[in-house]
Amino acid sequence: MVDAKKILVVEDESHLAKGLQFNLEREGYIVSLVDNGESAIELLGKQPFDLMILDIMLPKVNGIEVAKRVRNKDIRFPILMLSAKSSDEDRELGLEAGADDYLTKPFHLPELLLRVKGILRRWEWYKEPVHDQEVFHFGGMWINFVNGRAKGSSGEFYLTAKEALLMRLLVSQKDNIVRREELLEKVWGYDPQTETRTVDNFVARLRKYFEKKPQSPRYIITHREKGYEFKS
Amino acid sequence: MNKLRALFHPIMVFIGVQIAWIVLMVVWINWYLENNLSIKEFAQELRPDLFTAEVEWLILFEGCFLMLLILSGVYVIFVYWNKQNRLNQMQSNFVASVSHELKSPLASIQLYLETLKYQDVSKEDSKDFIETMLSDTARLSGLIENILQSSKADPKSMELQTQKIDLGQFLSEVVNDHKRQFEEKNCEVKLQLEASPVLILDKKALQMVFNNLIGNALRYSPVGSSLKIHLHRTGRFWDIDFMDKGIGFEKKDMKKVFKKFYRVQNKDTQNIEGAGLGLFISHEIVKNHKGRLKVMSPGRGQGSVFTVSLPISRGLTV
Repeated sequence: MVDAKKILVVEDESHLAKGLQFNLEREGYIVSLVDNGESAIELLGKQPFDLMILDIMLPKVNGIEVAKRVRNKDIRFPILMLSAKSSDEDRELGLEAGADDYLTKPFHLPELLLRVKGILRRWEWYKEPVHDQEVFHFGGMWINFVNGRAKGSSGEFYLTAKEALLMRLLVSQKDNIVRREELLEKVWGYDPQTETRTVDNFVARLRKYFEKKPQSPRYIITHREKGYEFKS
Repeated sequence: MNKLRALFHPIMVFIGVQIAWIVLMVVWINWYLENNLSIKEFAQELRPDLFTAEVEWLILFEGCFLMLLILSGVYVIFVYWNKQNRLNQMQSNFVASVSHELKSPLASIQLYLETLKYQDVSKEDSKDFIETMLSDTARLSGLIENILQSSKADPKSMELQTQKIDLGQFLSEVVNDHKRQFEEKNCEVKLQLEASPVLILDKKALQMVFNNLIGNALRYSPVGSSLKIHLHRTGRFWDIDFMDKGIGFEKKDMKKVFKKFYRVQNKDTQNIEGAGLGLFISHEIVKNHKGRLKVMSPGRGQGSVFTVSLPISRGLTV
């Protein structure tokens, strides 16, 4: 049990929270429960966790606010949002606030467990060192993969969690072609709602940040029908 | 962006339209007065018979009347349009809250059923899961009852199925039904009965009232709080006080909480589920028993006391 992953479940519905705890513990995770956003932020400051399962409608500080506050400190920390709010707008709001995945209530237990596994797998991969240091330098620019801060062709800014993950994956395999499928799996976890075009859109965004001439890129190169390559 | 939205608020649009209309009238009257003489000369050449010395009072009166009619018409349309907008907003809020409230117990039931299906569960755990699911189904059926009652909560249409009830015993039973919820919220409940009168009441309806009041006390109180239920006589009424140490009310909300769909909107309540029906229905049920449902709160964060007053002789027959 030394390597058991720690999961923080933030859910004010006690029945659901207990059910989640039972199932996650059966899968070998160590689970902590809190029933409001304030306690969640407090506990995250005190203990390290590998994943947070977060409800939106929470007393004191709501889930969206919790996700935003966590993201401000750490762009990588995995968050799975679990909410009864099922409209597209709610989903977008959750993902924009920084959730890595969004599952609506009522949900299927096997699907929840698979998603938890998927997020933790991506998190593990992201934790692998990309370079000697957490800050990666190239062509007078740099990216800090811990806090998402970066210096691009036109100054300093913050990358979003997904942008940082994508960049991280490309950089970790620099001078090699990374297939679109691999990018999709590792960054988006094969969410059925994610189209392959999403990767192209994100790459276009990264080029705007880091390329002087995004139309004829120097660092992020497209290989037609194959994938993308980061050229050092 | 907010300023722009405020500018397009129906009231602002209405005021804007009225101002534009009055300005147009002023411009037109001004133009008419300035060109009055030349128009008159021109008209005299064409139709001299029009210029009789008498003022056409009937036409003038008709004109003013028509103008007033148009104005009041616009006003009535505006008032109803605004009302319709508010109703639409309330309906969508209601649908969102109800679907959210239905989904939570449903998600819990599904989770426990799937746990039983996919996991190897001990006999003890299975028993506990079944109890949890039953508690969730009770919550679901309570919510559905509330929705159904709210559609016929008109005092005239509500028929009471009355029977003799020992109020003290009945309250003990209701409190006992909520034992699990009290334990889950670590809530200390104290039932104080100064007497145990037998009254003629609609048991099912009164149970809804007590369920709603206890449910609210639990929902709007922090974990580890307390609830005191006190049955005592006050003049010609038997009063049942539900005293919680929850988030309480501001004075302005005290009367409104019994309105259909009304929910207190503040930082403490924004993330607490609710359809805004429970207190409305409870108020109507108590009123139908010729009683009163009142609320008192010293202020936000200082708890509240809901009092169900049932008349000693209610004039109802079994």
